[in-house]
Amino acid sequence: MSTEPADDITSRPRGAAARERIYRYVLFACAATSVLITVGIVVLLARDAARFFGIVDPLSFFTGTEFILARNTFGVLPLVSGTLIVTVVSAAIAIPVGVAAAVYLSEYASERARAVLKPALEVLAGIPTVVYGIFALVYVTPFLQAIGLPVNTFNALSASIMVGIMIIPMVSSLSEDAMSAVPDSLRQAAYGMGATKYEVSTGVVIPAAASGIFSSFILALSRAIGETMIVFIAMGSRPRMIELGDPLQNLWQASEPMTAAMVRINSADNVSQVAFTSLFAIGLTLFLITFLMNVISNRIAARYREEYD
Amino acid sequence: MAAPEGDAGIAAGTRDVSRVKGRAFEAVCLAATSAGLVAVLILLLFVAADAFRPFSADPGWGLVYFLTLVVPVLGLAGYYYLSDEPAGEVAYATAGIPVVGLLAAGAMVVLVVELITIIELFATVLAAGLALAAIALHARLRRKAALERLGVMILAPTVAIFGVPPAEVVTLLNWAAGELGAGTLVTTRVTSLRELVMMAPVLPADWILLVLSLTLPVAGGFGLLVARRRDSRRDGLAFLGGAVAVAAAGLVAGPLTGLGAEGWVIASTFTLPPLAVYVEGVLRRREGVAGLVFPVVLVGGVLLGAVLVRQLGFAAPDPWLDPAFILDVPSRTPEDAGIYPALVGSVMMMVVIVVAIFPVGVGAAIYLEEYAPSSGLAGKVVTLIEINIGNLAGVPSVVYGLLGLALFIRVVNFPTGTVIVGALAVGLLILPIVIISAQEAIRAVPDSHRQASYGMGATRWQTVRRVVLPQALPGILTGTILALGRAIGETAPLLMVGLAASVRLAPNGFFDLGAAMPRQILTWSSEFEAAFRHGVLAAGVVTLVAVLIIMNATAIVIRNKYQREA
Repeated sequence: MSTEPADDITSRPRGAAARERIYRYVLFACAATSVLITVGIVVLLARDAARFFGIVDPLSFFTGTEFILARNTFGVLPLVSGTLIVTVVSAAIAIPVGVAAAVYLSEYASERARAVLKPALEVLAGIPTVVYGIFALVYVTPFLQAIGLPVNTFNALSASIMVGIMIIPMVSSLSEDAMSAVPDSLRQAAYGMGATKYEVSTGVVIPAAASGIFSSFILALSRAIGETMIVFIAMGSRPRMIELGDPLQNLWQASEPMTAAMVRINSADNVSQVAFTSLFAIGLTLFLITFLMNVISNRIAARYREEYD
Repeated sequence: MAAPEGDAGIAAGTRDVSRVKGRAFEAVCLAATSAGLVAVLILLLFVAADAFRPFSADPGWGLVYFLTLVVPVLGLAGYYYLSDEPAGEVAYATAGIPVVGLLAAGAMVVLVVELITIIELFATVLAAGLALAAIALHARLRRKAALERLGVMILAPTVAIFGVPPAEVVTLLNWAAGELGAGTLVTTRVTSLRELVMMAPVLPADWILLVLSLTLPVAGGFGLLVARRRDSRRDGLAFLGGAVAVAAAGLVAGPLTGLGAEGWVIASTFTLPPLAVYVEGVLRRREGVAGLVFPVVLVGGVLLGAVLVRQLGFAAPDPWLDPAFILDVPSRTPEDAGIYPALVGSVMMMVVIVVAIFPVGVGAAIYLEEYAPSSGLAGKVVTLIEINIGNLAGVPSVVYGLLGLALFIRVVNFPTGTVIVGALAVGLLILPIVIISAQEAIRAVPDSHRQASYGMGATRWQTVRRVVLPQALPGILTGTILALGRAIGETAPLLMVGLAASVRLAPNGFFDLGAAMPRQILTWSSEFEAAFRHGVLAAGVVTLVAVLIIMNATAIVIRNKYQREA
């Protein structure tokens, strides 16, 4: 707007420095919010968890094999084993599929196919988990029954399948990043030695990207552990210990992971005060597990990035 | 994808190399890439079939629409794909812009109907406009008083919109004083401009207020765009005049289209100006003009099909997902069940999330990218913040729900299950995502632009506001829309803060008990009646997924356009 030249180009309007300082503080406050959120999670959850552990012995909480709200029995192991089932089965689906997809996208796919397939895969991660849960309950379970598997209405298998499909994009896109980061000179060297594309992919690219791929596994596992709606809708609400003698039985039957138990405790009517605070103990455990896994995954990913940059 | 067996391979010097293994591996990898996609596509088809029940129609009905709509549209799409790619994009955009516009219009109607009255809207917009004018005037008169301007920037909107002290603050103070037994604390306050307008004895008709408070700003924005693009003030003004005239024509056209005058004003404001600007750009660039045929064929096909079906007397399908489903309240009988209150709740939650989270997220991203020191103790703190944000993005949503429960309900004492509590819990969840995507957008702005700005003597904030933010805005918008898409589907936090399973009345304010689409869908999933499980539930799922797809597609279009221009 101004047409007249300023007297001195180094001069600033009065108060400009103070104003700049204010902006800096406001923006810093925004960035610091994230730390406040983390602190808030830990402090608020720990406060109520502490109250819970004041009544219930932590030892019996972490080693108990029964979780029955009505009887005020809080052993977290059945919930942990429910979480374990989902994590293992969904990882068994997502990890091989995700890595194979990453190999295809990074080594084989044409530029055009990549441009379509990559965003299409991302869509999988964008579908609300409540919708995946409904798919599992309304379509997948009847389908599994129709092909003759002895699954109950609520079962661990269909929930785990949907969790697996949901986390495929996470594995594939992070693994693909790792594979794309492998320098082309390594590939050229292998081709120069007369290797086929298959040998280059499996013998050079995957080992070179191993740490990145591994960090994507950990992240995906942490996602499967924290997944709530799919398991809440499709897996039932019966905390059960894993049956090691008959492993398949674990898949056919209902079970309850930690996340689903938290939702159930919170929405149940007439729970005792102790039962309600047990929610925070479970939540804190869950938060610490997933937070730790994210930190480890980031560490691994950061280390491998340093190697090639 | 059968690998050709024993395809003897190429002779490589002394021995043959078998390609079977390699081919098989490639096929397996391709199958893995598409496995999840195909599985979900099939499930979506099942759900869509349950929601729309296409087989409940006459086969003739299907045939008519196949011939009038599907064949021409597919033919056109094939033509674009094979021989005229830019036109395909134009076709996609011209068909999509009105849809997105209508969605925005729908959200606007929801807000105007459920949340604020038209007069309130008008008064707020007028007050905000005058406050903006005051700020601009001050900037022109006292160009050098920077700190003073900051004061004006905060004071003018407060006085104009909220009054001094703001009515909300007065209520809060008096309530607190009452609790402490101190009686009424604040008795007099300066009335805001907004309240003055609302107290005016005579006000024009609703549709005029809508034109003034909605059409004028929206068309004005697009008019500015036109004026800048064509470098002609007159064209911009002509555009503005045209848009207002079209909206005002609603008095006549509205009742004819069944929308009513107000409906017409809102719908036309959000669809026609953006479409006109886009079409003008296409015509001017002379690129992909053939794509403009697409929406004509689309609408023409629908109309022709409707006429033919009526003439031939074919029965239409009886879908679960129909306008009645969108506009009805939940019910115990599947035939009457609807999703309207949950839809309103979701829209209102989006508003809270955008207002509460967007500024904080973008502010944090600006700090981390533009201001943050990278060395010394402060640098370490900043690194810690960055790592922390990355980790927060991976914290399970149910934990955010628990945080919301502990913080907003148990500590701050907000009422359980209200819109604001649900929105804030989900908002905290998407905050790290917004920060990370905004950071990426800001990082993509070339450093040379910043250096040039500093070289001109601009301060850091001026550089951020005038150089960095305008360029990063499309990227930030893309990230925010994607994050909002995530927010709209989140359910676990809503459950933890006790959002109502289903409410019969749409929430009227942010502190009302609210429902939300995913919460409502979850309620239907626990019904055992087949009509609920395969009908109402499917209709709800399709509604939610459709909203999501439209949001994500919009984000992708913005990103593509931006990447090409950059």
